[in-house]
Amino acid sequence: MIPKQKVVAMVLAGGQGSRLGVLTKKLAKPAVPFGGKYRIIDFPLSNCVNSGIEAVGILTQYQPLVLNEYIGNGQPWDLDGMHSGANCLSPYEAKGGKEWYTGTANAIYQNISYIDRYNPDYVLILSGDHIYKMDYNDMLEFHKKNNAACTIAAIDVPKEEASRFGILNTNKDGSIYEFDEKPEHPKSTNASMGIYIFSWKELRKYLKEDAEDPDSSNDFGKNVLPAMLDAGERMFAYPFEGYWKDVGTIDSLWEANMDLLDPNVGLDLNNVYSRNPMMPPHYIADGVTIQNSLIADGCNVYGDLEFSILFAGVKIGKGATINSSIIMPGAVIEDGATVEFAIVAENAVIGKNAKVGANPSEVKNRDDWGVTVIGDNLKIGDNVVVPPKAMIDKDMEV
Amino acid sequence: MKSNDVFGLIFSNSCEDTLTELTAHRTTASVPIGGKYRMIDFVLSNLANSNVNNVGIIAKSGFMSLMDHIGSGSAWDLSKKRSGITILPPYAGVNFSNKIETLYQLRGYFEDIEEDYILLSESNNIFNVDFTELFYLHSVNEADITLVYKNMLVPEKFIPMTISHDNVGKVEKVLIQPNVKGKCNLYLGSLILKKELFLELINKAIAENELDFDRLIQKWVDEYDVYAYECPSTCAVISSMNEYYKFNMELMNEELRDELFKADRPILTKVRDDAPCKYGLTSSVKNSLVSQGCFIEGEVENCVISKGVHIAKGAKVSNCIIMQDSEIDSNCNLNYLIIDKDVKITSGKSMAGADSYPIHIEKKSVI
Repeated sequence: MIPKQKVVAMVLAGGQGSRLGVLTKKLAKPAVPFGGKYRIIDFPLSNCVNSGIEAVGILTQYQPLVLNEYIGNGQPWDLDGMHSGANCLSPYEAKGGKEWYTGTANAIYQNISYIDRYNPDYVLILSGDHIYKMDYNDMLEFHKKNNAACTIAAIDVPKEEASRFGILNTNKDGSIYEFDEKPEHPKSTNASMGIYIFSWKELRKYLKEDAEDPDSSNDFGKNVLPAMLDAGERMFAYPFEGYWKDVGTIDSLWEANMDLLDPNVGLDLNNVYSRNPMMPPHYIADGVTIQNSLIADGCNVYGDLEFSILFAGVKIGKGATINSSIIMPGAVIEDGATVEFAIVAENAVIGKNAKVGANPSEVKNRDDWGVTVIGDNLKIGDNVVVPPKAMIDKDMEV
Repeated sequence: MKSNDVFGLIFSNSCEDTLTELTAHRTTASVPIGGKYRMIDFVLSNLANSNVNNVGIIAKSGFMSLMDHIGSGSAWDLSKKRSGITILPPYAGVNFSNKIETLYQLRGYFEDIEEDYILLSESNNIFNVDFTELFYLHSVNEADITLVYKNMLVPEKFIPMTISHDNVGKVEKVLIQPNVKGKCNLYLGSLILKKELFLELINKAIAENELDFDRLIQKWVDEYDVYAYECPSTCAVISSMNEYYKFNMELMNEELRDELFKADRPILTKVRDDAPCKYGLTSSVKNSLVSQGCFIEGEVENCVISKGVHIAKGAKVSNCIIMQDSEIDSNCNLNYLIIDKDVKITSGKSMAGADSYPIHIEKKSVI
């Protein structure tokens, strides 16, 4: 028999992340590289371990190969216990038939038996695509204190952005009386962070009911949470203060990376665990300028760098200039190339004197400007100019 | 002969007398090198990458840091049901004063291992080699013993043993401390032989009270079929403070790094979850190797910097090796220093060694 776990975490990691375009062509969004040596999923996994949660189910569906391989036996996060740890949970064929995960709630529903094995009191539902550090114990204490069926972490967002989020309207005591999904006229700025703690007994019941409802789209936000609220369950918003960012778009992914370079942003990388590159320290050549940047092991830097992030094993050639860009593992920027406000994916090669992306100050019409993205393993030929906002998914020559 | 039929045996205290300050509190094997490695990582990774599954490390003294570094052996993938690393320290009433006596005292352990061959190695060779070629040649030659050598200059303070061999690699002569000028075929302290023969030779040496390992090798050349194998990779033997300093500085050469740190035969080491290195707005870095977890705000030139080091704004550090978690405060001016772990140099200090005499700053010093 498996020892009881007080809390089981379930990380939703099956989404395609279609808004990340070429970056998620061959991998799921939570596996997208972040911050010089991490993948996005390192953040929720590290949060779990740092909060003492030892059983973590990772729900995978879209392009799971890279993610499954990365998680492996969970050892980099200390999630390789004898009776607990990280498990990637893909949809499977069963006696009653086979079914993809049709929604977030359905993904949990199909894995009820995984959760039941641990006989937990609480289940923590997380997204695999958020950058933040949080001690889930504080939220759990809040949940217990309120004797809640469900607690949702909430963050105060700027008023003008509130209509992009699910807004939680609460009473004075923090109890939720209304969900407002992406409201046109938000009544508050209390945005759901997509982090839920449920008392397992309650959630189990509502998941079963939801599964029996043919009209349901089996989604937490759209179906399960409203059903619980309608039934009069105790639901609370847990106010979170600190850095949190949904990195579902190119802009937000780029911004979250740049936030790491801003000393005024409260996101540090202490106690964030990951698989580590097996490469020597990085080398900085004579006569180059490095300003406000992050550089991982294994890089060889012969060009100038400012406000940029180099992942492991990147090479920057002589006379190349990198500004406000993210260069993912193994990419090569050849001599004389310029990369500005761009994301260059894994193992891409930017040819000599090519120019990728542009500084917003160079662009006449602000609407024409955006972060340029070069897909993985692509070759951008010598002297090629890649305009701002472009998303490149095939090799380019002059 | 298969790789998994070879047991790797590493001596952790190689050249410790001539590495002076670096080995004052630790074994040679656990001396930090190349920014993020320990000396033993090279031979250990070579063994692991050559599919040697079981490794013993003979520890004589100062092996706390070695034990901490090796841990379970998982960093080298040597902590499986069918593989492992065993640290072999001295035990009650046993004297590890010289190689022969040490090996003799451990004979019970060697009798129990399943492998038929033993590969002996030193821990201060810095190289990247696939040993399977050595295993192949040892069996093709039907050799009793194969010695590993490298045609190279004799490192400083190193007692050289030179090998001459015929055109099929059979050793003709081994000389101890000959007068050599220029390059010679330098024995690297690695040899392979059958376990049975190994135990027989050790027993015999003890019985005849011949306790000088090097002289014994000389004798074996006459009595057995001894072959030589030249290490195909570049190889540094870290035998003195100057050799240590010189090798670290040579790592600025990208070709050397490419030769030592291969993607398909990586040099593995115990990792810490350090963030990528952060460079501040005021940093200036030239010709340096820098590890993850550092925060560089000052000026750095010709340095090898290990993980977790902070160089504050206004500090100027040139030609230094800085080991992990040391802190250099503002307006320091440092030149030609080997700064050990956890050192703190408070602001405004000027210190300098010389190219031919880098000065070592002791671990945990506060200056």
